[in-house]
Amino acid sequence: MKRRIFLRGAGGVAVAAPFLGSLGAKTAKAAVAAPTRLVVFFTHNGCLTNRWFPQKEDGPLSASDLEGTYLSVLSDVVDRLLIPRGFRSMNQYATVQTIDPHDQAMGSKLTCATISTERSRYATAESLDHVIARAINPNGASPLVLGVGASSTSIKEVLSFSGPEEPFPANVNPQTVYTQLTGILTSGGGGPPMGEADFRLKLGQSAIDIVREDLDSLRRLKMSSADKERLQQWLDLLRDTENGMMDPELAAACSTGTAMTLGATAEAVAEASPAGPITPGCLVNCIGPAQGEADNNLATSFTKGGDMMMNLMALSMICDVNRMLMLVYPGYVKFNWDGINHTHEHHGLSHRTGDASVGGACGVEGVLDKIAEIDTWYTSKYAKLVHLLESISEGETSLLDNTATMWLPELSDGNSHNTNNLPIVIAGSAGGYLKQSAIVNVEQAMIGVGNSESSCQNGGQIGFNTGSNGGNVPINKLYVTLMNALGMTADDGGPVREFGVFDSNNADAGITNPGEVAELKA
Amino acid sequence: MDRRSLIAGFGLAIGTAPLACGGGDPSIEDADGGGSDSGNDDEEGEEDEEDDGSGEGEDDDGTDSGADSSAGDDSEDTSDPELGECDEIAPTSQVSRLTNIQYDRTVRDLLGVTSLTASNGSLPSTLLATDQGGGLTDLGWSAYQSVAGMIAIQVMEDPALRSNFLKCDPADDDCLEDTIVEFGHRAFRRPLTESEIARFSELVSKGEEITESGAPDEIARALLYTFLISPSFLQRGETSEDGVLSGAENYYVLSSHEVASRLSYMLWGTMPDEDLFEAAAEGELETPDQILAQARRMLEDERAREMVASFHRDYLFMKAGGRWDTTAKDADLYPTFSAEQVPWLASETVRMFDYITFEQEGSFRDFLLTDVAFVNQATAPLYDLDPSDFGEDLEMVRVEDRPGFLTRAGFLSAYSYATSTSPILRGAYITKEIIGVDVPAPPPGIDQSLPEGAEDLETIREQVTAQTSVGDCKSCHDPYINPPGFALENFNAVGAWQTHEAFSGAEINPVADVTVVAGEDPVTVSTPTELMELIAGSPTAMEHYARRWISYAYQRQSPLDECATARIAETMMTNEGYTVLDLISDLTQTESFRVRAVEGDQ
Repeated sequence: MKRRIFLRGAGGVAVAAPFLGSLGAKTAKAAVAAPTRLVVFFTHNGCLTNRWFPQKEDGPLSASDLEGTYLSVLSDVVDRLLIPRGFRSMNQYATVQTIDPHDQAMGSKLTCATISTERSRYATAESLDHVIARAINPNGASPLVLGVGASSTSIKEVLSFSGPEEPFPANVNPQTVYTQLTGILTSGGGGPPMGEADFRLKLGQSAIDIVREDLDSLRRLKMSSADKERLQQWLDLLRDTENGMMDPELAAACSTGTAMTLGATAEAVAEASPAGPITPGCLVNCIGPAQGEADNNLATSFTKGGDMMMNLMALSMICDVNRMLMLVYPGYVKFNWDGINHTHEHHGLSHRTGDASVGGACGVEGVLDKIAEIDTWYTSKYAKLVHLLESISEGETSLLDNTATMWLPELSDGNSHNTNNLPIVIAGSAGGYLKQSAIVNVEQAMIGVGNSESSCQNGGQIGFNTGSNGGNVPINKLYVTLMNALGMTADDGGPVREFGVFDSNNADAGITNPGEVAELKA
Repeated sequence: MDRRSLIAGFGLAIGTAPLACGGGDPSIEDADGGGSDSGNDDEEGEEDEEDDGSGEGEDDDGTDSGADSSAGDDSEDTSDPELGECDEIAPTSQVSRLTNIQYDRTVRDLLGVTSLTASNGSLPSTLLATDQGGGLTDLGWSAYQSVAGMIAIQVMEDPALRSNFLKCDPADDDCLEDTIVEFGHRAFRRPLTESEIARFSELVSKGEEITESGAPDEIARALLYTFLISPSFLQRGETSEDGVLSGAENYYVLSSHEVASRLSYMLWGTMPDEDLFEAAAEGELETPDQILAQARRMLEDERAREMVASFHRDYLFMKAGGRWDTTAKDADLYPTFSAEQVPWLASETVRMFDYITFEQEGSFRDFLLTDVAFVNQATAPLYDLDPSDFGEDLEMVRVEDRPGFLTRAGFLSAYSYATSTSPILRGAYITKEIIGVDVPAPPPGIDQSLPEGAEDLETIREQVTAQTSVGDCKSCHDPYINPPGFALENFNAVGAWQTHEAFSGAEINPVADVTVVAGEDPVTVSTPTELMELIAGSPTAMEHYARRWISYAYQRQSPLDECATARIAETMMTNEGYTVLDLISDLTQTESFRVRAVEGDQ
C-alpha cells in the first residue's frame, strides 16, 4: 500500500497508509488555505491523435469514455480530469508553416508571440509561466522548469522565456533541484537529522554578508540599468534566504521525512542523476565507447531522472517554494528503455520516414506501432505524475486538486506539424475553479480525432494528410482561464481577459478574441 | 609569430579622423549573459546559439557621446587614450556570469578540480542551473552555493588540490591573511581592494564562531567557500573606471587585469594564467602590441585549439540534433554509408579546420580549396579508400577533385536527403552560412509540394527548378539558393561522384550561375572546383567569416562591431597571406576589445 502524505490542515505530519480516519485528528485551527498551482507536462512531436482522443467530444466524462485510448490509464482519476477540445496554438506562419515548424511551435507555445528572425529563433515575448510565477509565487520567484536528457539552449527544446529572446532552459539534473530543497527541509517527520549538515549552515550569515557587500559595491558603480537589475535580483535572493521563516504547519510538512516518503533521498537522487555526458548533446569528440555510455545516461535521465523530477516537483509544492512548475521532455531522442528498442529517434518516427524529411516513403517498418509505444510511454509518465499528486493529501482534498496539472503537447499530429486540435488534458481543478470529469468542446462544432493513421498502415507513402482541420479556438483563451483559476486578476482588479501578443492568423492584429472560456469552469 | 597586426590603422589612435562606420546602436542591450553566451564552449549540452550577424543596428541614433568631436586636435596634450578609427563601441554587460563551461574550466585552472567526488565524479557544471538569460534564479544561486561547498571540502581534503588554494599552513600566523591576498587575486582575476581584504579578514577572525570546531582547516575551508560564491568570482566584472576616454564619458579603457580576462576567456574560455597575471601586474597589457604578443603566445596553447574547434562547429552550424548530427541514408541506395560514420564525418570536418588553422597556418581560402582530408576506417569507403589501410583515428590523406570542406562526405551527406541529394539544402547552407547572403525565410503560406507532373522529371535539378519556379519562390531560389546546389549535383547523397542520376539514368548538368554578392552579376561555374574557387575569393564570404568571429569572440549578438568586421574582411581580401591565426589575434586589436561602453541610461 502506498504511503500517503498529509499536508496543511492535517497537522502536516507524514503518516503511513491512507486512512481517511486520521483526518479526524485535524488541528482545531482553521486550515491554511492551500495555494493553487499550475503544473505543465510537455512533450514533443505530437502523437497518433486518433488513439489519444476519446470519441466523445463534449459532456460528462466517465471511465468507459477512455477505454481504448491512451488515456485509459487515467480511468481511476477520471473524476479529476478535464479534456478541453478544440484549442490551437497560433504560430507565426499560421496555416502552412514554412520556417521550421518546431521552432515556431516551441517559441510561440507559451508566449503566443512570434519568434525571432535571428538565427536563435527565440520567442519575442515573455512566456506564460513567467507571467504566472511573478504573480503567484512566494517572493515572485522564477518558475521551476525541469527536464530530462541533455541540457539545451536550442529553440528546439526551450519552452520558457523570461523575456523577449531570453531563453529559460530546463534544468535537467535532479541533484540540482534536490540540493536546493535540502536547504529548507526541516528535520521533522521521522527523517534523519540534517546530517553533519554541511559547514555552510554554520557559516551562514557571514558568507552571505560578504556576497551582499560585493554586490552592493558593484551597484554603486556606473552601470546600465539592465546590469543594476541583475545585481538587484541577486540581492533579492539573499533577502529571501533570510526571510526564511516558515509557517509552522508548512514547516512540519516540508521535512526530510516527507522527502523520504516521496523517495527523494540523497542516494536515490544520485542514482537518478546521470554522471556523464548524454546524447544527443554530444556532437563531436565524443565518439567511440563514450557513445554507449552517453546512451545509458540518456536512458537513466529519461526513466529514473524524470520520475525523480516528479517527486521533487511534489516536494517543491509541499514546501511551497514554487507554484509554477513545468516538466519538459526533449524531442529528438531515440527511445531505448523500458522495453522500447527503437532504431530511429522520435522526430524521424513522427514523420513516419525515419528522418527529418517531410513526406516520402514510410521508411520504418511498423512505424505507427513505434509511435504508439512512445505515446503510451509518455501517457504513463503523465499518469504517474497525476497519481503522485493525487496521493498527497492537502487539507480535505489532494495536492492534485489544488493544481491544474496539464499535459500540453508541442503539436497535434507530428507529421503534419498541425497545432490545431491539440490533445490537451488537465488533471485537478485548481482549487475548484475548473470543471471536472468532463470533456468540453470549446469550438462547438464537431472536430474529430484526426487522421494520424491515414498513411503508413502497411508501408507506402506519406504526405500531409495526417492532421485535421477543426479545433481552432486560440489557446490564449485556455491560458486566460488558467490564470483566473490561479487567482490572478487584470490591472483593473477584474478577471484576466488577455494573454499573449496575438491570437489569430494575423500576427499584427493583436488579441482579437479576449476572455476566458466559461464552459471550462466548474 | 612575432608579426605585428596587419590590420591597417588599427589600435587606439590619437588624433585620427574617425571613419564613418559606426559600431551600432548603443540603445540596444547587449545580449551577453543570455543563452547565447556560449563563448568558448564545446562539449556536451551546448548548442549553437549563433546570431546571424546581419548587421542590424547600424543606424546612428545620435548618441555619439561626443567621441567624434573629441578625437580631433585638442588631444595632443593629454595622455588619455582616445578612440581611433572604429569610433563607436556597443555597450556590453559589466557583470556577465561565467557560463557553465567557463565555470568548469575556471575551477580546473584555479583549483585543479575537474570532477566532484561528492557527486559521482561529475563535472562541476552538471550540478549548476542550465545557462540562462536574465538574472540569477533561486535555483541557480542554490546550485552555486552547493557546488562551492563540495569544491571547498574536496580541495581541503585532497593534498594534491589543497596547495592550489593554500601556500602555507593555515595554523600559522598570517597564513590565511596571505591567502586572502594571494588566492583572492587569482579567484577574482584582479587584486582585491582594501575593503575586500578587510571583509575576508573579518570572516577569518570570526572563524571560531562560524565553524564547527574552529580548527584552522575549517576556517580555511569556509574562506574558500566564500570566495567561490562571491559575485566577483562568479561574474566577469569589468568595472574599472580609471581609464576614462577624454571627451567620451561613457567609454572606459579596460584595466590591465580586465584585458587579461578578456584575452583568456576569449582565447581559452578560462581564467588568465601566470603570464597574463604577471603582465597585468606589470602594466604590460596596455598597448596593442603588448596585447598582440600575448594573443600570439596564447594561440600556441592547446586551449586555443579547443576554442577554435568550438568556433568552427558554431560557424558550420553543427548543433545537437542538427543535420550534421542526424544524417541517415537509405541502406539499399547507399550501401557504403553507415550510422557509425556520422560522428566521424563531423569530426573529419572540424579536424580539417584545425589542421588548416594551426598546422598549416593557412587562410580562410584554404578551408575551401585544400586537398587535405581526414579519413579513418569507418569513413574510408566513402572516399573509395580501403578501410584496412586505416585505424580508428582520423588520418590525413590528400584527395583529388575535392577542394575544401564543401566537397567532403561530411557536408555532402548531411545536406542531402536519405534517398537523394538536395540542391536546396546544400545551396541554402552555402548561400546563408558560407557566402553569407541573408536570404529571408520563405514567405508564409507557400506551397512547398512538387507541382503536378514534376515527379516525372528525370533529374533532381529539373524537379527543384519546377518546384521553385512558382510564385515568390523564384526570386530567392533562382539567383541565390539553387545554383550552388546545382553545381554540386555531381556528388550524390553520400558524396560519391556521379555523372548520371541513379533513378533515371539522365545526365547531370552541374553548370550554374552563382551570385556571390547580392545584386551583382552572377558568375558561371561548371565544376565543383570552380564553385569553390569562386567562394574562396568572395568578399561577402570573407566578411561573413569575419563577422562570425567578431560575434563569437566578443559574445555578442547585434549590435556587432561592424567597423572591425569590415576592417578584418578588407585585410582578408587584400592580403592572401593573412592567416586564420592572424585574424584571431587581430580580434584583440580592435577598439572594442580594449574599450568598454556603458549604456546611456545608467
